[in-house]
Amino acid sequence: MVKTDMLKQYFAQLEAALKKKLETKVTARRRFIYEISRIGSRIFDENWSIGWTTVFVPYEILNSMNVSGMFIEFFGAMLSGTGLSQKYIEIAEGKGFSTDSCSYHRSIIGAAMDGLIPEPDILIGASIPCNGGVKALKRIGEIFHKDVFILNIPIEITNDSIDYLVEQYEQMIEYIETETGRKLDKNRLKQTIKYNNQAREYLIEANDLCKKVPSPANSNDLKNFIIFILLQGTKEGVEVAKLYRDEFQNRIDNGINGMLDEKFRLLWIQNRIQFKTDLVEMIEKEYGANIVIDELNYIWWEPMDESDPLRSLAKRMISHPIVGPAERRIKTLVKLSKDYKIHGAINPSHWGCRQSTGARVLFKDALQKVGVPILDLDVDCVDERNYTPGQIKTRLEAFMEMISNV
Amino acid sequence: MGWLCSYTPLELIYAAGFRPFRIIGHSKPIESADSYIHPNYCQFVKSTIDLAIEGVYDFLDGVVFVNSCDAMRRLHDVWKRFIPYKFIFLLDIPMGNFTLGSKYLKMEFQKLKIALEDYSSNVITDVLIEEAINLFTETRALYHELNSLRMEDPPRMSGREITELTIELFHTDPKSWNEKVKAILKEKRKTTTNNDNPRIILSGSPIHDAEFIGFIEDCGLNVVYEDVCTGSKFFDIQIKKSADLLGSLSEAYLNRTPCARMMKVDKRVKSLIVVSKKFKTDGIIHHSLKFCDTYLFDVPILKEQLMAQGLSVLFIESDGGLGSLNQLKTRIEAFAEMIR
Repeated sequence: MVKTDMLKQYFAQLEAALKKKLETKVTARRRFIYEISRIGSRIFDENWSIGWTTVFVPYEILNSMNVSGMFIEFFGAMLSGTGLSQKYIEIAEGKGFSTDSCSYHRSIIGAAMDGLIPEPDILIGASIPCNGGVKALKRIGEIFHKDVFILNIPIEITNDSIDYLVEQYEQMIEYIETETGRKLDKNRLKQTIKYNNQAREYLIEANDLCKKVPSPANSNDLKNFIIFILLQGTKEGVEVAKLYRDEFQNRIDNGINGMLDEKFRLLWIQNRIQFKTDLVEMIEKEYGANIVIDELNYIWWEPMDESDPLRSLAKRMISHPIVGPAERRIKTLVKLSKDYKIHGAINPSHWGCRQSTGARVLFKDALQKVGVPILDLDVDCVDERNYTPGQIKTRLEAFMEMISNV
Repeated sequence: MGWLCSYTPLELIYAAGFRPFRIIGHSKPIESADSYIHPNYCQFVKSTIDLAIEGVYDFLDGVVFVNSCDAMRRLHDVWKRFIPYKFIFLLDIPMGNFTLGSKYLKMEFQKLKIALEDYSSNVITDVLIEEAINLFTETRALYHELNSLRMEDPPRMSGREITELTIELFHTDPKSWNEKVKAILKEKRKTTTNNDNPRIILSGSPIHDAEFIGFIEDCGLNVVYEDVCTGSKFFDIQIKKSADLLGSLSEAYLNRTPCARMMKVDKRVKSLIVVSKKFKTDGIIHHSLKFCDTYLFDVPILKEQLMAQGLSVLFIESDGGLGSLNQLKTRIEAFAEMIR
C-alpha cells in the first residue's frame, strides 16, 4: 500500500466513525472534528486540487477555487496527536534538520520525505507567524520539485500596506489558476465572505458566552480551535459556529456548567500540547481550573465587505494580533485576561517557536500588571521525546497552588 | 544610530546626520539575556541584549531594527521594553521572489526617512542621500579592491585581518575608514605572504568576532571570502544611479546576494559557486549559529546542492562563542587535511 493511502484511510475512518457518532448525538465538538476530517479526506478527491500552506493564508480564496488547503502546522499537530510524530521527526533529523527547530515543521518535513503526504498542486507560505514555517514549506516544495508562493504580510496597517497585500492576493490567484487550471469564481468568493461574516458572529457569541462565570464550556470544548481556519468561508463553518453558540447558550439556559465546580479560570497562550497528556484533566479535577479561553480563538477582525473580498481579507490578515511587534499580541492577552476574568495564564513556550518564546518575558510583565500570573512550561508541544511529565506536573501544581493562595 | 541587519539602508541613516553603528554583540558566554528573552535564541540576539542591559550601547541615539527574522522581531520588542530609547524603528522587508517587493521596501524606506527626519530635525534632501550613496559606494569599492588581494594565491591578506577591518567599519566613520583602507591597500600590495593552506569560503550565520575567522585559519586554512552579513557579503550592494533615489536603494538592497532569510536558496548556491570559482577555493565551511532557524533550515538542501556541484563542504554549528570553538577544532583540521 502506498503511504498516502494510509493517510486517506485514516481520514476516511475518522470521518466514518464521527458520522456514526453524530447519528446518535450531535455535539459542536463532534461536528467540528467531523468537518475537519472531511477536509482531510477531500485532499484525495479528484475534484479538488491540493494546497499545502502555512497557517495564515486566506482559505476563503482557496475554498472558492476548489483548492483543498491544508496547513502544515495542523498536520504536525495531527501527527503528534496520533502518536506518529516521533518517527517523522527522526526522519527529518536524520537528513540534517536541527533538533532546535520547530517540531510542528520537522514532523511534516519528515512525513513529506517518507511519502506520507500527497503531492501538492500549489504551496503558499505567509511570512506570519514565522519564518520557520515558510522555510519548512520551501523544503517540502523541494521534495516535490515545486516552488512556494510567498505572501509577505506587512507589519503595519495602512492603506498602502492593504493595497500591497491585495496585489499579492491577486498574484496568488493567478499562481493558483496557472498551477491548477482552476479559475476564481468571484461570486463564490463573495459567498465565502458572507459565510465568514455569519460564522464570525456566531463565534463571537460563543466566545462571549464563555465569559460567564462559571463558563458553559470546559477546557477541551474549543481546544485547538485554530484549525477552524480550514472551514473559513464555508457553509459547514457557519453550521459548526452556530452549533457552538447554541450549545453554550443551551447549557447556560439549563444551568449546566462546562465543568462541575469551576474555581479558577485560565487563559492558554498560543497552541496546546498536541500529544496525549493528562495535564488538562489534572488541573480540572484536582484544582477545579478551567481553560476558558485560548489566545488563538480570539476573533480579532471586523466584519468583512462582500463587495470587496480581497481588501477585506487583507485587512483581516494585517490586523491579526500576531503580526508585527509583540505589542498587539500583548494588548490582546491583557484584554482576554480582563474579559474572561482570568486567574492565571499558561504559556507552553513551545521549544523551537522563535516567533513566540522570545516574547514570554513581555507577556509575563504585562499580565502581572493586571494581576494575572503566568506559567511558562518550556515544553515541546509536538515532540514528546523530551517530555518529562513529573517535572511539568510539579510546576503546574506549584502554579495552581500559588493561584489558590491568592 | 544603532543598526543590526545588513538590510538596513545605511545611506539614509548617514544622510540624516547620524553615524551608523552596528550592534553585533559579543562572543563570550551569555550573562543576563536569558532573563529577558528565551534561551533558545541565537548568540547574536542574546549577546546584544547582554550588552544593552549592561549599558554598553547607551551612547546611541536610537536603533533601527529590521524585521529580518523572528528572532530580530522579538529582539526589537524586548529592546523597546527594557532599553528604552527615544528612537526605535522596525523596518519591514519582504522575502521570496518578489515582483512587488521593491515597491513595498521603497515605502518602508520612505517611512524610515520620515521618522529619521522627525527625530533629527534634519531634512534628508536628495543631495544628502546622493552624498551618502557616493560615500558608501566608495567604501564598498575599496573593500572589493582589498578583498581582491585574497584572490591571489597565497592571499595577501588573512580572513582575520579583513574581518577586523570590516568590524571596524561598523563602529567608525566610513570616511576615515575609507582613508585607512586606501593606505592599507598601498601597503598590502607591496607585501607577500607565504603559505599553501587550502582556500575556503566561510558561509552562514553572522560572525561576531574576527577571532572566529582566526580560529579557522589557525586550523590550517585560508579564509578567502566571508559569505556572511558581517563579512564580504555585507559589501555586495550595487546602487544604480537614478532620480528615484529610494527606488534605487530599495532595489539594490533587495537584489543583493540573499541571506538565508530571503528564502532564495538557489541564489545562495549560485552565488557560492561564482565566488568559489572567482576566489579559486578548495572548499566551503558553512557555519550556523545554534537556534538560527533561517540558516539551519537551509543546511540539508545546501548540502545536497553544493555537493552535487562537486564542492567540498563542512557544515558546523556553534553557539557563536569562542569558547565552544575548540570542540570543532578536530573537525575543521580534518576538513583542512581532506581538501589539501
